[in-house]
Amino acid sequence: MPIFRIMFLLALLAFGVVWIRIEVNRSGRTIGQLQNEVEIKEARNQYLKLEILRLTSPETVSQQAREKFGFEPIKPHHVIVLEK
Amino acid sequence: MFKKTVSPPVVFNIKTRMRRAGFIILLAPLVIFVRLFYMQTFLHEEFSSKAERAIYNYLAEDRLRGKILDVNGLTLAESVRTHSCGINKRYVKDKDKTVSFLADTLDMPKSQILEKWNKTGNFFFVAKKIKPDKYIKISEILRTPLGQGLELTPEYERIHPYNQSALDIIGAANSKNLGLSGVEQMFNRELSQDISKKRAKHARRGEIIYDRKLKEELSVGSVYLTIDSLIQYYAENALRKAVETVGAEHGVALVQEPKSGRILAAASYPVSDGQSLAFQFTYEPGSTFKTIAVASALDAGTARITDSIDMEGRKWEVAKGFVIQDKQHDKAFLSIPEIMQLSSNIGAGKIALELGPKNLFYYLKAFGFGSKTDINFNGESKGSVSLYTNWTKVDTVTKGYRYAEAVTHQQLIGADSAIANGGNMMQPHLNDRLEYADGKVEKRAKPVKIRRVLRPETTETMKKVLQSVVEAGSGKRAHITGYNVAGKTGTAEKLSKEGGYGKRSHVVSFCGFVPTTDPQFTILVILDNPAKYSFGGTAAAPVFKEIAEPLLSYKAVKPDQLDFE
Repeated sequence: MPIFRIMFLLALLAFGVVWIRIEVNRSGRTIGQLQNEVEIKEARNQYLKLEILRLTSPETVSQQAREKFGFEPIKPHHVIVLEK
Repeated sequence: MFKKTVSPPVVFNIKTRMRRAGFIILLAPLVIFVRLFYMQTFLHEEFSSKAERAIYNYLAEDRLRGKILDVNGLTLAESVRTHSCGINKRYVKDKDKTVSFLADTLDMPKSQILEKWNKTGNFFFVAKKIKPDKYIKISEILRTPLGQGLELTPEYERIHPYNQSALDIIGAANSKNLGLSGVEQMFNRELSQDISKKRAKHARRGEIIYDRKLKEELSVGSVYLTIDSLIQYYAENALRKAVETVGAEHGVALVQEPKSGRILAAASYPVSDGQSLAFQFTYEPGSTFKTIAVASALDAGTARITDSIDMEGRKWEVAKGFVIQDKQHDKAFLSIPEIMQLSSNIGAGKIALELGPKNLFYYLKAFGFGSKTDINFNGESKGSVSLYTNWTKVDTVTKGYRYAEAVTHQQLIGADSAIANGGNMMQPHLNDRLEYADGKVEKRAKPVKIRRVLRPETTETMKKVLQSVVEAGSGKRAHITGYNVAGKTGTAEKLSKEGGYGKRSHVVSFCGFVPTTDPQFTILVILDNPAKYSFGGTAAAPVFKEIAEPLLSYKAVKPDQLDFE
């Protein structure tokens, strides 16, 4: 009967190997999806940061200050420099 | 007597039968096992590579690219991950629904997608560089029947948050993230990353199952420029307005710190990415060059500030057939400050002649004309200075007020900065520092004195002379309340295609520094070929003022005049 035991063990081993491979595949798929999600969120975040940068650029700020509030750049001799 | 031995009958008992049956059953797996062992051991390489090719896919990710930032760490160029959306027609279940969905999501006309569908083979790209929000919408339906056949491929896009600002210096990188021009090309090695490869398994409908990374991602460095994005904006804004007002073909505005040689702004208009007029192009500077000739003569001692120059009745025949005329004044004699204020060609020509070709040549070389500045900008021009032994009398004279050869804008501002800082030629810098992936910072823009070209006494005299140009001469429109401004205007005729100098084709410029008592900024403004005939004093000097005023406020530079208003 040892031959049957060996065969049974071999079958069990084969099943284990297959099960591990399936798990590896499943994990790989999940990692792929998660990695993709992370990358999208990072890209979105990066876009938002760049949008902030665009909205706070000197050109945009000057234009907004001029059009919305009627501000004009101050003359340098009107600037009072405080000593440190 | 004889006993017959009888062998026992062969009995096939159950045990023997099972053993034999078991042996026969195991024989086949044993053969397979031996074969597999042979294949695994002796044919391993061949089969593993076959299996690798069949099962796995190597995904070469686009190169990551480092950032380009201004001196304060504000991003001027950055790579952002985007995606391309493609259609694998074979797998699409419902063409009409899928195309309608893509048209709505990507804001594209349906007809445009259908046109591509009909014209191409099995696979085609619907849109490239789609933004994350659109990508999310598409990726959400990817595993539904509607999304079957759609493929999303990652790629990177180079973003310039300040739009066109400094784009001529930053340059361009291609879709593979390789630097093609400008700073992108200059620092391509530091900004680039090796392509990272990931091993992944093929799955249905282009789905990717990650396996393991082949190459660790190498992070990339960042390049910090000496450019200040706010000063760059001041320069670009003032330049754009001036170019549009006078209808010039091009315009250049450069701002440099005279003490350190750092370039704070380098604006060209119109902007062409990676083509910087400031570094790559040459021009004849015209009267702004009188500053160099007069400073050289004062330094060499061939002219003194108290000298009075005979104007030869305002019509000087230098050589047979070559006459210089001063039409802008009616004086018989001019002092050196007056020569500069009135921009007298006769005066500057005579000073250059008195200095002599050999001395003038050596001063020009010492000021850096005819040599590259080592700023390392790709395609930087070195201008030209011919050997003095080939100069005629006319050549020497014209070099005093016009300079018959070519200089770059950077060379001229560098020479004026030397006058501003007390006589030292400083190495110009465009790159402030490099920040490597491991956090190590390499400072590049340390002040480097190349050589002394003028004595401090000469520069003090020149500052007063140039200040008088703004106070009482052609540069009045560069005057800034509260500050002493020094500078020189220039209006130069351009060489025409027919030969000689064209009367209607000219370059107007102003080069100066502020405040004169302790110069913080040297500014050069050039307007090339204005449609409306204009002068350096009327067109370029106001641009200098428009750049300098907010700059002085921004850097909180104290006025150097005591009584003003």
